[in-house]
Amino acid sequence: MSSALVTMRRVRKSFGGVHAVDDASLAVHPGEVLALLGHNGAGKSTLMKVLSGAFMHDEGEILVGGKSAVIRTPTDAQALGIETIHQTLALADNLDAVANLFLGRELLTRYGMLDDFAMESAARAVFRRLNPNFRNIRVPVRSLSGGQRQVVAISRAVHFNARVLVMDEPCAALGPQETQMVHDLVRTLKAQGVGIILISHDMPDVFALSDRLCVMKNGRTIGTYRTADVDEEAVLGMIIAARLPSGVQPCERLSAEAG
Amino acid sequence: MLAGSEAPALSWRDRLQLDPLDIRLAIMAGVLLVMALAFHTVTGQFITPENLYNIAQQTAVVGIVAAAMALVIVARQIDLSVGSALGLVGVLIAFLMYSKGWHWVPASAAGLAVALAVGLYQGWLVAGLGVASFVVTLGGLMSLRGAAFLVASGKTQPVMDPLFLMLGGGLDGAIGPLPSGLLAAAFSAWMVLRAVQRRRSQRAHGLLPRALWVDVLVTGLFCATALAFAAAMSAYRIGDKPAGQGIPVPVLIWAVVVAVVAFIVKHTRFGRYIYAIGGNPEAALLVGIPVRRVLLQLFMLLAVLVTVAAIVAVSRLNAGTNSLGMNQELYVIAAAVIGGVALSGGSGTVIGTVLGALVIQFLESGLLLLDVDIGWRMVIVGQVLIAAVVFDVLFRRATGERVA
Repeated sequence: MSSALVTMRRVRKSFGGVHAVDDASLAVHPGEVLALLGHNGAGKSTLMKVLSGAFMHDEGEILVGGKSAVIRTPTDAQALGIETIHQTLALADNLDAVANLFLGRELLTRYGMLDDFAMESAARAVFRRLNPNFRNIRVPVRSLSGGQRQVVAISRAVHFNARVLVMDEPCAALGPQETQMVHDLVRTLKAQGVGIILISHDMPDVFALSDRLCVMKNGRTIGTYRTADVDEEAVLGMIIAARLPSGVQPCERLSAEAG
Repeated sequence: MLAGSEAPALSWRDRLQLDPLDIRLAIMAGVLLVMALAFHTVTGQFITPENLYNIAQQTAVVGIVAAAMALVIVARQIDLSVGSALGLVGVLIAFLMYSKGWHWVPASAAGLAVALAVGLYQGWLVAGLGVASFVVTLGGLMSLRGAAFLVASGKTQPVMDPLFLMLGGGLDGAIGPLPSGLLAAAFSAWMVLRAVQRRRSQRAHGLLPRALWVDVLVTGLFCATALAFAAAMSAYRIGDKPAGQGIPVPVLIWAVVVAVVAFIVKHTRFGRYIYAIGGNPEAALLVGIPVRRVLLQLFMLLAVLVTVAAIVAVSRLNAGTNSLGMNQELYVIAAAVIGGVALSGGSGTVIGTVLGALVIQFLESGLLLLDVDIGWRMVIVGQVLIAAVVFDVLFRRATGERVA
């Protein structure tokens, strides 16, 4: 197995005595989709917010490309090639699609001013790739449909050439057609060697897209398996009762890898 | 809407590229025009060089602060202390000049330093500690008014430096007809150049410029307003002075402030981040915008403009008094709100605050000419503020910006 793009090892994060993430470890490799599963409140989103720089973890370590990395802010994560599509999409509703795509990473002219035209033409290219019908990119994103808003959020990962992409419930609010678009995109990015961590509650999504799956319960990662080795019932057993499937070899050997 | 559209995928609104915000500003400009005509019809002396000159001059102090207040409100904050801060800074500058014999430049610099210190303190409480800006600046409203009293023990500090007094307008505080005309012409030329450049740049980037006639109309209106304004100001003569007054210095200062703030909004990261924070503070954090730093910088920007306004106010009054800027925060916030800045954040324009401040001053001036007494004036201005917000709510609902 090729070396991991990102490894999170024994990560803990608590908020005022509540252990949101309490000993979680996972790894994602180039060109694979790792599904991250668990109940609401299992700590999936918190763990991913640690990776994307929204929170700083209390304990544990994060390796990016095999090297220990310090991720204090979203900017740190972005600089390491980690892009995140948050469940809330993290869009400023009052700004247009172009401004949202570049939010926090605006292109500047050589005088240090916002380069609106350069941003608009770059944005058009990205949006055309993701959805050729998406043209109203100069209106506030609040007036866009759910699918279009999703395109804007995804466009950040595409434009900035994510090496690792975290997708938190990307299809939760989408219709069948738009879900298909997200699936296609995941496969395209995967083929380009991007490592994808997919948080989802939707079992068909998980089985259609993921190579491996990692289950969290009560802030811990309890097991990682090859998706092909398990069935839906086994996965639900892990999510609900933390019951590890018998006779299936867990594929993650983080302790061994850590050496 | 438009017949014979060759690109059916583009709606008429796409082609005109008319923002609801632009429509809103156009409506407000229309309201101002109607107000002016109505007051003129009734009083016969509203649209006169003298009255327009006074209105322009009187609006400047509120307008200067409102330009920055708009951004503060856009970022979902508020500053109730601007009137008191203006009082403190103004009295301090006058005190240093009159009682300490300082030149007006170092005195103003000292005023700026105090304003920045106040901005840093309040901004840190809001941005760093996360205390509600309403509370922090409500405290500032009281404390700074007290401090304004303490500076000169409540004594009025007259100011006599002729150069300093020019900054507030008045007898010699205008730039004369010829420079006014040249300035208006230069502004017009620049507006035309900018419109041409924008269209060329859009084409160069493969983007569709908006319909030509819209650009011509909008640019033409701006140019006409500037030229007419310069002409009106130049037509005003005080007493037996041989030449007309021209554009008052405080109005020029206001114009520069508006231009600078509008530039910040449109062309800098700082400006964009203010709107992003107002639109969705959580998203701003998640995409890596330094929210605290932006908010702190915003309070510092407001402090700078409060100082500018304080200098103009002291100069206009020829003195610093401890009641300087009393209740000014109400007019500043009202100007921003009437000008279309939403208190819910994320929405508002700087040019809107200019129109908002003018609406208030038109009302005050028109009602004064009608001999309406102060009580009724306040009643009416207050209700106009509410009417503006009601209009705002209905307008945003109609344009789909608000759901409920």
